[in-house]
Amino acid sequence: MTMFLIKKSDVGKIAEELARDHQVYGPMIEKGSGQTFFDRADDVSEISLSAPIPSNPPKSVVFPQMERVLAYEYDRPKNSVKIEPDYKVEPKALVGLRPCDLAGMLCLDRFFMGQEFVDEVYLAHRKKMFIVTNTCVAPFKQCFCVCTDSGPAASEGYDLNLTDLGDEFLVETGSEKGAVFAAGLGLAAADDSHLARKKKIVDKSISLFEDIAVDSKAWISRVMNRVTTGFVKEEVWEYIGDQCFECGACSFVCPSCSCFNIADVTNPECEGCADRLRSWDSCSYEGYSRMAGGHNPRKPVEDRRNKRFFCKLSYSQMKKYLRPGCVGCGRCAWVCPGDIGLPNVVTYVRREITR
Amino acid sequence: MNQKPGVCTFCGTGCGHFIGVENNRIARVYPSQNHPVSKGRLCVRGWNIHELLDTPDRIKKPLIRSDGPFVEASCDEAVGRLIDSLKKYPPESIGFLASPRSSNEEQYLLMKLARSVFGTNNICLDSESGHRASLNVLHAGTGMAGMLGSIEEICGAEFILVAGIDITRQNPIIGSEIHMAARAGAMVVTMDSRRTQIARLSKKFLQVRPGANKLAVLALAKTIYEENLHDPSFLEAHTEGFEGFRRAFGKLSENELYEKTGLKADEIKTVARHLARAKSAMVFFSSGISGLDEDTIGYIYNLFLLAGKIGKEGCGVNPIAGLNNLQGGYDMGLAPDLLTGFQPLADAATAKKFEKEWGTALPSSPGKPIYRSLADQASELKALVVVDHDEGIVRYADAIKKLDFVAYIGAFKNPFAEYAHVVLPIATYVQEDATFTNAERRIQLSTKKIEPEDGLLPGWKLYSMIAAKAGRAWKYAKVSEVMDEIARLTPAYAGVTHAKLAGGFGLQWPVDDKNPGGTRRFDLAKAGRKLAFYGVSDVFEAPSADDRFPFLLMVGKAQHFWHQNNLMKKTHIPMREYNATLMDYPEGYVEICPQSAKEIGVRDRWPVRVVSPHGEMRVSARVSDDVSPNTAYAPYFVQEMISRFLLGHTEVLRQGEDATIPVRIEKV
Amino acid sequence: MSQVLNIQDGKIVTVPEVATIEEIRDEIREVKTFYLSIDNREIWSGFKYKSGQFIMLTVFGSGEFAVSLPPSPENDRFHITVRTVGKVTSALHALKPGDKVGIRGPFGNGFPFEEFKGKNLVYVAGGIGLIPLRSSIVHALQHKKDFGRVLVLHGARTPDDLMYKENLKEWQSFEGFETYITVDVSTPGWTGETGFVHTLFDKANLPIDNTVAFVCGPPVMFNTVIGELMKRGLSDENIYSTLERHMKCGVGKCQHCAVGRTLVCTDGPVYTYRQIKTLGEEI
Ligand SMILES: Cc1cc2nc3c(=O)[nH]c(=O)nc-3n(C[C@H](O)[C@H](O)[C@H](O)COP(=O)(O)OP(=O)(O)OC[C@H]3O[C@@H](n4cnc5c(N)ncnc54)[C@H](O)[C@@H]3O)c2cc1C
Ligand code: SF4
Ligand code: SF4
Ligand code: SF4
Ligand code: FES
Repeated sequence: MTMFLIKKSDVGKIAEELARDHQVYGPMIEKGSGQTFFDRADDVSEISLSAPIPSNPPKSVVFPQMERVLAYEYDRPKNSVKIEPDYKVEPKALVGLRPCDLAGMLCLDRFFMGQEFVDEVYLAHRKKMFIVTNTCVAPFKQCFCVCTDSGPAASEGYDLNLTDLGDEFLVETGSEKGAVFAAGLGLAAADDSHLARKKKIVDKSISLFEDIAVDSKAWISRVMNRVTTGFVKEEVWEYIGDQCFECGACSFVCPSCSCFNIADVTNPECEGCADRLRSWDSCSYEGYSRMAGGHNPRKPVEDRRNKRFFCKLSYSQMKKYLRPGCVGCGRCAWVCPGDIGLPNVVTYVRREITR
Repeated sequence: MNQKPGVCTFCGTGCGHFIGVENNRIARVYPSQNHPVSKGRLCVRGWNIHELLDTPDRIKKPLIRSDGPFVEASCDEAVGRLIDSLKKYPPESIGFLASPRSSNEEQYLLMKLARSVFGTNNICLDSESGHRASLNVLHAGTGMAGMLGSIEEICGAEFILVAGIDITRQNPIIGSEIHMAARAGAMVVTMDSRRTQIARLSKKFLQVRPGANKLAVLALAKTIYEENLHDPSFLEAHTEGFEGFRRAFGKLSENELYEKTGLKADEIKTVARHLARAKSAMVFFSSGISGLDEDTIGYIYNLFLLAGKIGKEGCGVNPIAGLNNLQGGYDMGLAPDLLTGFQPLADAATAKKFEKEWGTALPSSPGKPIYRSLADQASELKALVVVDHDEGIVRYADAIKKLDFVAYIGAFKNPFAEYAHVVLPIATYVQEDATFTNAERRIQLSTKKIEPEDGLLPGWKLYSMIAAKAGRAWKYAKVSEVMDEIARLTPAYAGVTHAKLAGGFGLQWPVDDKNPGGTRRFDLAKAGRKLAFYGVSDVFEAPSADDRFPFLLMVGKAQHFWHQNNLMKKTHIPMREYNATLMDYPEGYVEICPQSAKEIGVRDRWPVRVVSPHGEMRVSARVSDDVSPNTAYAPYFVQEMISRFLLGHTEVLRQGEDATIPVRIEKV
Repeated sequence: MSQVLNIQDGKIVTVPEVATIEEIRDEIREVKTFYLSIDNREIWSGFKYKSGQFIMLTVFGSGEFAVSLPPSPENDRFHITVRTVGKVTSALHALKPGDKVGIRGPFGNGFPFEEFKGKNLVYVAGGIGLIPLRSSIVHALQHKKDFGRVLVLHGARTPDDLMYKENLKEWQSFEGFETYITVDVSTPGWTGETGFVHTLFDKANLPIDNTVAFVCGPPVMFNTVIGELMKRGLSDENIYSTLERHMKCGVGKCQHCAVGRTLVCTDGPVYTYRQIKTLGEEI
C-alpha cells in the first residue's frame, strides 16, 4: 500500500475532507472536566490526535448505549399493524481511533457480521465507514495492548493509519478506499526511511509500558490457557466474585463486549405502540440470565464473573473474534468499583490467590 | 461533542456523569473520570439512569377531579383549584410533604411557599426521620449538621467502621471507596446482624445480635476507656460532657455485654484497640429512609469522640444519605422546626432575617411532621400537598384517603397521585439547571440537558406561579437567583452561586468568606468550640427471644428500599435486577440460616409461617449463610409482607435498622 | 430493508411479520394454545421449519419472547402453546381471536431427524416439557414406518396438569405408538398411574438398543430421567433435549442465551446429553 507524509499543521485536513460526505467521529477533550470522549464532532477542529485514550469505547458509534431498532403501531380499531425497522445507513468516518479500539471494533465486526446471522442494525452503522487510526507513541497509564497483540500500532483493518513522527505524520494506507482518499489529498510520498522511523517510535513506545505488560505475552497467554482448559480453582473465581458490585461497567466500557438487552417501550398514549430499544447489557447482572419460572443457571455472582472473563480470556472465543476478546485497553480497570479489572483478574489467576 | 456534565440523582453519593442527548431525548450516560467522588465509576442504577430519563411514564398534563375520574385541565385551572382548596383551611390543617429528590432550589421554594404563602410550618420530607436523627447528634456535638468527614478522604483512613448499612447496595460508590481503602491496607470493620457484601470484604466482621448495635458500640467505648487507649489531654482540651457518657459504662458487666451482643471479648478488644491506635478513623452508618435510632447514633458519635477521631484528616462520623438530595432537604429547612442551614425557626434573629427577605411574617404556630399527623387519628390535617413521592408503596393510605384535599406535584407517575384531587406535572432535573447536595455536603450543579415538554414548567417556575396566583409575586428571572437568595439567608451556603459551581465538581459547605473553596471536612482547629459528648440514655432494652418466639426477626429497609422505589420501576435493566429476587419469592421471604432451616424442616423457597405476638404471615423461607442461627431477616419491600404483617409492627420499625421482632417460624 | 433472510435451507423472517390469531384453546391452568398464521400470504407459504425450532413472538405493546413450535412441519395446523409466567406471556393470554401479533423465525437447529431412521424413539416429557417435543412426536407419527417403537411418556404434577390430553388419546390409537401417563399427585377420580415419570420405564418395557430418547421438563425431572436412562444403558449421545434460556434476539447476537461456549438460539435449542455435559454450566 502507498504511504504519504502530512505536516502536523495540516493533519486536520483529513477530518475536514472526510466531513464533506461523512459524519465524523473522533477523540475530543471535554473542557470542563478534561475527559476525553470519542464522539461525533460537530466541529472537526475539536478532534485531538494527542488526546489520551477516550474514556468511552468507540463501539458507542456502531453499537450505541441505547438505540431504537424498530417501531410499531398496532391500531386496534382498524386491527392493522405498522412495523418499521428504525435504522439508517449514514456514512461515518472515525478519525484518530486508537489501535486497541480498532481491534475491539474488528472483534465486533466478526461477531455481528461474521456469524450465521448478520446483524442488520450493526451493519447499518458499519457500512460505508472510513477508519483513520492513530499509533500510540507512548502508552497511557492503564494500557496493556502489547500483551493482547493489539497495539501500540495498528496492523490491519484501517483505511488510513497515522503515526506522529515528530514534525509530521506518516500516513499509511490500508485499503483501496484509503489509498484513493489519500491520493486525493495531494501529499508528499513517504519512503522506507519513514517506515524505519515509525518502527523506532513504536519500539520506544513498547519499552514504555508497565513492566508486567512488556515482560512477555506469556503474562496473559498463560492465563488464557488456564481459563480455556478450566484449570482455575473455584476459590479464585469466588475471591473475584465477592468483590463484584454487579454494576455492569466492565461490559459497558469494553470495546469488544456486545451483550444487549431488548425492551419494548410502550407509549402510554397508544396502547399497542412501542419503540423497540436495544441497549447495552451485562452478563454480570443477575437478571441477565434468569429464566421464566425462577431458574437461574448462573446465579452466584462468581459464575457470572467467570463468564465474562471466560469471554475475554478463552481461546475458544477466538473462533468468534479471531483474536483474544480482550484488546488491552485497560478501561475495565478504571471503572470497576470492585477493583477487579481484567489486569487484576489476570494477576489473581496467575497467583491463584485463595481466600 | 454531545456530552453534558451532570450529577446522578439516584442516591446521596452524588456521582458525576455525562449525559448524551439525541433529538431532545436522553440517549446515554457515561461516568465522569475526574469527578472527585466517583472517579469514573457508577453503580448499576447510575449506569442506567438514561432509561429513567427517557421513560414515557411521566406526568405530562395537569389533572383535576371532583368526584369522578381525573380530567385534564390547564395549568391555570389546576393551580387555581389548588390555591382555593388550600385557602379553605386554617394553616394548621394544611401540610406539605416535600421530596428528598427535588433540587435545592425547588425544596427551598416549596418551603417558602408553605411558610410565606400558605402560612404553615407543617412541612417535612417524605422519607422518615433517620437522617434527621444523625443531624441532631452531629449538630449538637459539633455545630455541623452534616457528614463530618468526606468521601474523598476515605482512602486516607486507617480504620473504617461500617455500622448497620448494606453500603455496597445502598451507596455502592461509597462502598467501593471503602473496599479500595481496605485493599490499600485500611482496617475495615463491619458491624451488622447480617453478612452483607461489605462484611465479606472487611477485615473483621462483628456479627452482632439483632437490636444490639448500641451495646456493641458501648462495649467498644468501654474497652477504650478501661484500657486507657484514649487521650485524656484531648478530652480535656477539646471536649465537654464526657462524664455523662461514662456513666453508661458501668451499667452492664463485660459478660453481660458479650452475651447480649453475641460478640466475643477478643473481637471487641481487637477492634477497640485498632480504632484507638489508628491515626485516622471513620464510621459510616445508615440514615434516610431508615437508619439507626438517635441514641445509637449518639453512641457512635461519642465512641469516635472518645477515640479522638473527629476533626482531623481522614476522620469523620459519616451518616449516609440514601437519597440524592436528602441532605439538601434538611439544608433547605424542610422540617417543621427548621429554616435553611439547620437554623432553628425558634431563633428570633433568624426568623427576622427571613421575614425581612420575604417581606412577610413567618407563621407562629409550631408545625408537625406530616407522617405523625397521618398516624394520629385526632390530627387536624385536612389538606396535603405532596411532591415527587419516592416510594412505590403509599403508607397511611387510609388516612390519606380521608383527607379533604390532596395535591400531587411530580415529574414521574406514582401511585400516590391516585389519591390526589389535583395533579400538577413538573419538568425533570435534566430539564433545568439545578443543584443537589450529596451525603458529604457537596453542592453540585447539574445543568439543563433538554427542553421540557410543551407546557411543562420546572419546579421553581411552578412554585413562583402558585405564589403569584396566591397574591405574592416572587421576582426570580432565573433559577440561579433562587440560589442567590438561599445564599443570603444561609451561612453555610453564603458563598454559593451557580456561576461558581459551573464547570467544576461542586463545593462542600460551609462555603463562606473563610472557606471560599468550601470545606472538605469538619476541622477541629477551626471549630472554635469544644465538642460535646451527646446526651445518650443508659437504658438498654435489647429485645430478647424466648421459648415461644425463639427467633429475632430483623426488618431490613435500607438494603431494599430501591425495590419499592418508584423510579426504579421506570427503568428496564435495574428493574429487572431488583425484580429478580421478587420473582424467586413472589410473596416475600424470611431469611434463615441452613441450621435453622433444618430444625424447622424446610428448604429454600418452601412456605413458612412467621408468628409474632401481634400477627402472622405466610411467606417463603430463603436459606442463606448471611444470617446467624435464631435470627431471621425480612425485607421491607414486598407489598404483601408490609401490608399483611409489618405494618402491624410500625412502632417497632420506627427504630430503623435496629428494629427487631421476636417471632416463631413454622413449617406449613 | 430486507425482511426475509435466505439461508441455505429455507427462508427466515428477521423483522417481525404481522400474524393473526385465528383461534385460542385452553389447555391447562395458565396454558393456552394459539392458532396463528402470517398475514402476508407469500411469506406464509414460504414459512418452513423443522421440529425443535422456535420463533420469536411479539405481543404488540408489550414485548417479544421465544416460543417453541409444537406442530409438525408437515400437515399440522400452525400453533404455539404458551404458559403465563410474566409480562409478555400474560399480555398474549389477554388477546382474543382476530388480534394481531408479530412473528420472526424460525430459529434454532431443530432435531436431526435423518439420523433417527430405523430407530426406536422414546419421548419423556415432564409438564409443559411436552410442548417442544410435540412437533417431533407428530412428525414421527406421520412417518411411522421410518421408525421402530415410538413411546411417549408424559408425567405431570396432577391430572389437571397433563398437557395435550386429546392428542395423547389420539396418539395412543396409532399402530406401534405407545403412550404412558403418570401424575405425581393423584386427585379423586384419577385411575391412572401415580409416581414420577421415570417409574413408567419398566411398565413401558423401555427399549435401549437402537434407541434415541428425547427428554424435556423441569431441571429436577430432567436430571432424574437422564440418570435412569443412562443407568439402563442408553448412551449420552442418544439422549436429546431442548434447552431453555433467557432469549432476547434469537439470532445469536444478544448473548443472553449463552451456555458454555454455545448460544442456545443458534447452536441449540436441541442438544444431545453428551454436548450438554461438556457445556460446563448448570442446566
Ligand atoms: C427456545 C425456547 C422455547 C420456548 N418455548 C416456549 C413454549 O413453547 N411455551 C412457553 O410457554 N414458553 C416457552 N419458552 C419460554 C418463554 O420464552 C418465556 O416464558 C417467556 O419469554 C417469558 O416472558 P414474559 O415476558 O412473560 O416474562 P417476563 O415478565 O419477561 O419474565 C418472567 C421471567 O422470565 C424470564 N425470561 C424472560 N425472557 C425469557 C426467555 N426468553 N426465556 C426464559 N425466561 C425468560 C425473566 O427473566 C423473568 O425471570 C421458550 C423459551 C425458549 C428459549
Ligand atoms: S477486558 Fe478490559 S482491558 Fe480488555 S478490552 Fe475489555 S475493557 Fe479493555
Ligand atoms: S465493573 Fe467490576 S464491579 Fe462492575 S460488574 Fe464489572 S467486575 Fe463487577
Ligand atoms: S452510587 Fe448513587 S449517585 Fe452513584 S451512580 Fe449509584 S445511585 Fe448514582
Ligand atoms: S437469544 Fe440472543 S444470542 Fe441467543
